[in-house]
Amino acid sequence: MSSEEIIDPTVQHDASVRRVLLHLVLPFVVTVMAVLAIALVGINSYRTTKEGVSTLTHQLMGAVQQYIVQQVTDYILPAATGNLIASGMIEHAPAQVEDKVFYSYGSTMLRKIPQLQSFYLADDEGHFMLIARAAQQGVQEHVRLIEKNGHTYFHHAFWDESGQKISETEEDAKGYDPRTRDWYKNTAGTDKVTWTKPHLFPTTSQFVMTSSLRFKTDAGHTMVFATNISLNELSSYLDQIKVGKTGSAMIVDSHGLLIAGKNLTQQAKAAGWDPDKMVLDRNAYPVFALGYDHYRVRGVGPRHVTWDGKDYITIAASLPRYSDSWVLLMAAPESDFGSFARQSSHQSLQFLAIITVFSLVLAGLLVRQVRRTEAGTRLLEKQKAQIQRESSAVQVVAVAPRLFDPTVEPLSLTEQLTLVTGARRATLWRFLHDGAAMVCEDAYDQTQNTHSGGFEMARTELGPFFAAIEEGNAFSVENAAVDPRTTRFERLIMRELGTKALTVCPVHGPHGVEGAIMLEDPHLQPHLLYFLDLMAGVAALRFAAQAQLLDSQAGKIVDAGQQVAALDVPPPQSDNMLMMAPEAAAVNSASIYPSVAVLVITFSDPVVEGEKETEALIALINQLAADVQSVAQEEKLFAVEVAGHRMICTAGCLPQPDVTAIVRVADAALKMREIFMASLAAADLEPVFTMGIDYGPAFGGAVGNSPKVFNLWGQTVSLAELMAAGAADPGTIQVTERVYAVLRDRYLFRSRGTFFAPHLGLGRAYTLAARR
Amino acid sequence: METYAAGPLLELNKAVPSFEDSGLPPIPFNMKLMPGECMIVEARDPSRATMFADMCSGMVELESGQVSFMGLDWANLQDRELNALRGRIGRITRRASWAEFMPTHLGIILQQLHHTTRTLDDLVAEAVRRSEDFGLPGVPTVSPSLLSDTDLTRVSCVRAFMGQPHLLLLEDPLEGGPPEMYNSFLSSVTEARDRGAGVIWLVRSNAVWQSYRQGITSTWRLADDGLVAVRMA
Repeated sequence: MSSEEIIDPTVQHDASVRRVLLHLVLPFVVTVMAVLAIALVGINSYRTTKEGVSTLTHQLMGAVQQYIVQQVTDYILPAATGNLIASGMIEHAPAQVEDKVFYSYGSTMLRKIPQLQSFYLADDEGHFMLIARAAQQGVQEHVRLIEKNGHTYFHHAFWDESGQKISETEEDAKGYDPRTRDWYKNTAGTDKVTWTKPHLFPTTSQFVMTSSLRFKTDAGHTMVFATNISLNELSSYLDQIKVGKTGSAMIVDSHGLLIAGKNLTQQAKAAGWDPDKMVLDRNAYPVFALGYDHYRVRGVGPRHVTWDGKDYITIAASLPRYSDSWVLLMAAPESDFGSFARQSSHQSLQFLAIITVFSLVLAGLLVRQVRRTEAGTRLLEKQKAQIQRESSAVQVVAVAPRLFDPTVEPLSLTEQLTLVTGARRATLWRFLHDGAAMVCEDAYDQTQNTHSGGFEMARTELGPFFAAIEEGNAFSVENAAVDPRTTRFERLIMRELGTKALTVCPVHGPHGVEGAIMLEDPHLQPHLLYFLDLMAGVAALRFAAQAQLLDSQAGKIVDAGQQVAALDVPPPQSDNMLMMAPEAAAVNSASIYPSVAVLVITFSDPVVEGEKETEALIALINQLAADVQSVAQEEKLFAVEVAGHRMICTAGCLPQPDVTAIVRVADAALKMREIFMASLAAADLEPVFTMGIDYGPAFGGAVGNSPKVFNLWGQTVSLAELMAAGAADPGTIQVTERVYAVLRDRYLFRSRGTFFAPHLGLGRAYTLAARR
Repeated sequence: METYAAGPLLELNKAVPSFEDSGLPPIPFNMKLMPGECMIVEARDPSRATMFADMCSGMVELESGQVSFMGLDWANLQDRELNALRGRIGRITRRASWAEFMPTHLGIILQQLHHTTRTLDDLVAEAVRRSEDFGLPGVPTVSPSLLSDTDLTRVSCVRAFMGQPHLLLLEDPLEGGPPEMYNSFLSSVTEARDRGAGVIWLVRSNAVWQSYRQGITSTWRLADDGLVAVRMA
């Protein structure tokens, strides 16, 4: 892309966006989606498990509840139903055996059912009987309220397991009347089983409750049968029951009074053995209290409560109807049931995290791999482009016309060298014959896109550098300024351009090293050395051809120079000729000259104001004319013709080729330029002239009657005029390619490029700078 | 300008233009133009020549095949790159194509202003230089509609050679144009080729390029039977 262009069309932005999408975003999105899918599945599984655990917990709790209810029912059933059975038995028994039936029933029940503590039987006339366990193991106590002498006594009879009366005592009843007791009064007006509040049973230190049932005997008396059942046994039973791992149960009545449960005795003590004060303690049993609150608001059933950041499940269940609205409360931490599920969920989450990490790592590896592949593909494409560039460069060099013709500049050689190696500048150097100097055949500056050449470097100045080249091996230096071999070269040649690295590839010819290719700041890949060798080979062939050409020309030039020196030229003639050689005077007819050198000098009209200035200008022109004459004589020119604001200097108008003509004309041009510059500068005028030189065949002769005028025509003259007219800048000498080909080793030239000249076609033009 | 050296500068590879869109024969066009080459395409029908130049610029729908410029297939480029790539083409059209809403001097430098970062001073200097080369006293500042046909031809040349185009699609300005422009035109063509630009010179008759024949790389004829190579005598 040109540095001036805003957008580089060769860069495919969309493709790169697509590549980024394909290589980075897609794997990332896929990974994220995979992770999300895994996370969703994990979370869903977790929720399902949690719900399942909750359902399972409730079901388990339900089952436990049913089991406990059954157990509690079984516990109190003998008290409730026993009342019904006993009352039925006593109701229909004859009056004389009522006591036997009672004692028989009570005795049996006390022996068989441990939770039962004692039985009462009282009637509306105040009769009272009791059977209970005595303090001694296996002994039962029969108590009867008797009246003696108008005073009531308790008659105690103790019976062992074999039915033998062990002892009997009497005790003052102190006016005891069973009809005043709660268990009797509770039954008034009802034929259902009623319960008293829990109370301490003094004989056994048991916390008991009394269930009682009123019935009428066949004899018409109203009797009440009561059963004391121990709450201590129920409490210890409830204490033993494990709900889950750490859960427990208790029974409360509809007023929140504790009936049975853990630490019942301690509770009773704390309440001062007052049943009315044995309420559910919120501090001691916060979870039960919460469960009870839920029960009061929402009725029976399982509830989910949270206490102190922990989840609990409570269940309130009503006990059978004969239990007087008792409520069974159960509470257990949810974790007791769901811990395995929670553990499973945690494991799932851990697996999820591990899979996520693995997925991310794999995605990273995938992205890395894709990027490496991409980088590899880019490298391959780059190498492919490089190969194509090299092939193209070789092809360009190969098809370059007159590649091995030393008179044609090796422009494509240096251009392709810079193109392939990426060097800032490529130069082609040739050893001069004696090896004392190297001349730059061509130098191509890539950034400036310009060719130059012709400069020399001498062995005396760059001895180590010459020696390094003559070793014959290619070498590269990273910093030419510090390498002893290249320090001076860097100072002389490279510093001007600011280049740092240098690669030198010697050009081997039949007689050893004949020159070198030098690359400044190249990006040289190792495999490109073959290309350098190839180009060095081409250069070697050119050098060989050039050596032959120079050999053939050298002798002629020296000979012709001597001839010129021997010529004796008379002073110039008049008319339009500023100068004319003696042989020109001898020309009487038209003739063709094979190697004429023509110099055309064109002046532009200066702006003149006033007579005084005009006179000064004419004086200046006169001075310039005299100087031209002088130079022409020095250089033994053939003729100098003046035509308006043009001067045409010719040399080499001989029937035989004169190879010195162009040298003399070139020297004359340089001298004249110096003189003109100095004179014009002295007169405070701009350099208002341009010069053009061509060299080649022309025809001319003396034309007209006396005085005959010598004149030249032909393409050579036209081209010289064109060169003068189209010179790049005022004061410059522009020459054709033919002139350059002959003089390139003796003079310094600057290429101006290829031009199309009317009627002449394509050609290159050069500016003659100075003598070497 | 970097010389493009990685293959053909312009390549028509079995490119079949859409007849409905272009009027060009729906026949495969095959052609390669290398950097520095100058190709003559003889087209009797001026509108067909214009369409062919459009096709080379990637502005004609293809039924099949590819037209690649500097190795890039026009059909595969997005708008941004497409427009940037067209910025590398200098073009002279037979029918004057000038925007009437801006004066001629802006029309000349507009392409370079749009596609490059060159300064206005730089562009104006080049426009002046080229205008003088093509026989104008300076850069015209009037509306294009106020210019004479010959002056419009001159400024078309100036505009086409502005900058350093890689490809020149030149519908012959010489035929019927000012004769003194001949040398300037050929000089500009040669200069462009010298720095690696490819030139397609669309002519109506062969007479116009005969004096430049030594510089012509190949000649073609655009007719009903498509693009046919003509052997140079």
